[in-house]
Amino acid sequence: MLLQLLPQSIVFGILVGALYGLAAVGLSLVFGVTKFLNVAHGELLMLGGYATFWLFQLLKFDPFLSLPLSILFLLVIGVVLYQLVFVRMVKLPEEAKVKNTMLVGFGLSLILQNIALRLWTADDRGVTTAYSRIAYTVLDTRFPLIRVVSLVISLVALLALHQFLKRTYAGKAIRATVEDWEAASLMGIDVHRIYLLSFLIGAALAGVAGSLVSVGYSIAPGMGLEWTLKSLIVMVLGGLGSFVGTFVGGIVLGLTESLAGLAISGSYREVVGLALFILVLIFRPQGLFGAKER
Amino acid sequence: MKKIVLAAALVLLLGGLIALPLTQVQDNITNLVILVFLYVMLSSSWNILGGFTGQTNLGHAAFFGLGALATRLLWLEGKWPIIPSIMVGVGAAVALALLIGLPAFRLRGVYFAIGTLAMGQILNVTVGNVLPEISAIPPKDLATYALLPRYYVFLALAVVTVVAAYVLANSRLGLGMMAVREGEDAAESLGVSALQHKLLALIISASLAGLAGGAFAFYHVGYYPSFPFGPTWTFDSVMVAYLGGTGTVIGPVIGSIFYVVVKELLALRLADYHLIIFGALFVLVVLFMPGGLVEAWSKIRKVLTHGGAPTPPPQPAKREAGPLAKERSELSE
Amino acid sequence: MLTLENINAYYGDLQALWGISLQVQEGELVALVGPNGAGKTTTLRVITGLLKPASGTIHLHAESLTKDPPHKIVELGVSQVPEGGRIFTKMTVLENLELGAYGAQARRERQQTLKEVFTFFPRLEERQKQVAGTLSGGERQMLAIARALMSKPKLLLLDEPSFGLAPILVQFMFEMIRQINQRGITILLVEQNVRAALELADRAYVIENGRIVGQGTHQELLAFDSIRSAYLG
Repeated sequence: MLLQLLPQSIVFGILVGALYGLAAVGLSLVFGVTKFLNVAHGELLMLGGYATFWLFQLLKFDPFLSLPLSILFLLVIGVVLYQLVFVRMVKLPEEAKVKNTMLVGFGLSLILQNIALRLWTADDRGVTTAYSRIAYTVLDTRFPLIRVVSLVISLVALLALHQFLKRTYAGKAIRATVEDWEAASLMGIDVHRIYLLSFLIGAALAGVAGSLVSVGYSIAPGMGLEWTLKSLIVMVLGGLGSFVGTFVGGIVLGLTESLAGLAISGSYREVVGLALFILVLIFRPQGLFGAKER
Repeated sequence: MKKIVLAAALVLLLGGLIALPLTQVQDNITNLVILVFLYVMLSSSWNILGGFTGQTNLGHAAFFGLGALATRLLWLEGKWPIIPSIMVGVGAAVALALLIGLPAFRLRGVYFAIGTLAMGQILNVTVGNVLPEISAIPPKDLATYALLPRYYVFLALAVVTVVAAYVLANSRLGLGMMAVREGEDAAESLGVSALQHKLLALIISASLAGLAGGAFAFYHVGYYPSFPFGPTWTFDSVMVAYLGGTGTVIGPVIGSIFYVVVKELLALRLADYHLIIFGALFVLVVLFMPGGLVEAWSKIRKVLTHGGAPTPPPQPAKREAGPLAKERSELSE
Repeated sequence: MLTLENINAYYGDLQALWGISLQVQEGELVALVGPNGAGKTTTLRVITGLLKPASGTIHLHAESLTKDPPHKIVELGVSQVPEGGRIFTKMTVLENLELGAYGAQARRERQQTLKEVFTFFPRLEERQKQVAGTLSGGERQMLAIARALMSKPKLLLLDEPSFGLAPILVQFMFEMIRQINQRGITILLVEQNVRAALELADRAYVIENGRIVGQGTHQELLAFDSIRSAYLG
């Protein structure tokens, strides 16, 4: 009986895992380049979701077509947060930088969460379009259209990031900065600009993920912590340094949660991921795909 | 002379606090003071691991929650008297600390922080699923619910917590913890076992948080058992400790008073914005005044006593490792 | 062209440079020599802006470099080959070279510059698609120098270019440096290999314990007994 649910479970796991992966890649990029551990990442995702939701609710914009607008929104917020707060921590030595940005991130998440709460109440929201109910059924397994499109968009975003890093000067500058920021600045690369750029790309990716969550699932002001944790989990699972690895890590988390849901009650879903996270942290800190650094 | 004045002031303060509920003061003032005591306990206990020893524990609520859970079950369901219930609550928190201590400290720095965050969430979700129903003092017992004993329990436990922190800070153990905070490797090379000190700090921190949980369980009429496990409690502890000044004994106390007072003031006009404001304050503290109010106070004092002229700092230049280290070590040859 | 006046620099509380003053005229090849830990690399870091001096000034012609961030200094025409080369091992040879021409001007001319660089370093042209981490020590050093040349610098700073190279390669390296200088690029060379550096350079400064203790041409420096015995004996 359980076996019948298996394919469906796998499909759902992959579909949600793509969003985990997308969110995590954003966080991973920021952390990899700047060593900022922005734990308000989940809140950025939440804001992306709300942008899409309100654009749909008030202006009837299709949630997929309005993605560029929600990206724009996140870029603005990203610039504000970076220039007001994060830029002051650029010069700190690495350990302090990671710790302080984490603490600041918590403060920011508190602020953003509660602003959202004030503005939009604690109700769950979601975007329901005319095509929200459409699903393709293949071999007894349902593929909801919205979630499939989200998967495609995630892959496109990942591909775009990959090409950006590989082919553009800015992308190469980012890769150089990750490897050796002093040598990069000796090339004439303005490391501060690279930090800002990476931060903005990370925010944009979070925004896209949030927008997709608002269509395929639901959003609420308090969702930030859960998604930040998921991004952290996937970031560690996938190992730093490879975005493809991180994305796959997202799929792995999605699958693990989904499959575990067959055996134990769905409300423990989050626990599965967290437990996996702790195990990986302790026994394989370089992640499933990362190279051993220590 | 200064010490006598300080001691006298403390005695006066304590006397005042003891006498407070006996005066005509309204219940809501008493409740506010209890809230201060609660935050004093939460932030001081976090501070022992986070401030003294430098390990940012983001799962602090788990110890608070366990203390509350065990106490509540024994006291409400098991009909135990409150003091032994709280003792067992402390025991439960310590048990968790012992369980996770060794594996947790295999994680360094930020990994420890997010690992404990995950651990706290696991307990939060699990307890929420296992005990979804509200835990309420039955109506017939409500009639005998008295605020006074709760107040004194909180007062006593808060004093215990602060005294414990003070004694620890001035002990050899505390010194070792601070050495670990300043640099684990350096501490090890001085013969200070980082792991031992971290574990002890964790255990003490957990037990005091469990104590706070026990008091919490005794005090609240009705709440969801998973409530004290919520991450908000951890963040509040961290935030209050930072506001007041981590690494000091008085910091969490000042931070708690500040937090509760300002929260009350804000509640009058800007209800529900208080979290946004505190979030902003916290960010400001981390960015500009990591020593919190304690640091701010000592700066103000310096300005007042020295007329404001600061001593010039030693020459700038950022700390560098790498090629420098090679040159520096050879410079000293 | 390059003037350092009375530079004092610190690492934290530790003073590393004491009143350093030196000059490099346009077209010259000047060496900065001294023992390990004397402050040679530190001096270069101050020039390129990776380390801000506590006091003193740096000028390129009339332009003050003292407060500028590293990327601005590169734009002004100063390029450094840091100690060990510090190429980007995870990127290809070609990508490393492209990054060398990051500034707007250099980027525009980069196809042309690339051709010139490849003429100079044919080995790099062969290996251009290879990941830089797979190159040998000598090739990496070549790549580091080539990369610095991609920015079309007016002043090239070289930090121990011969370090870790086999003697044959060292010869080759210095010959290449001479040729680069002959093409009109001013060079400040930091070297531990004093003999080779003095033979190559027009002038040299001697630095010890963070202070300039001597300067002059090859001949003039040989006149210092202490230098002769300490370094050339």
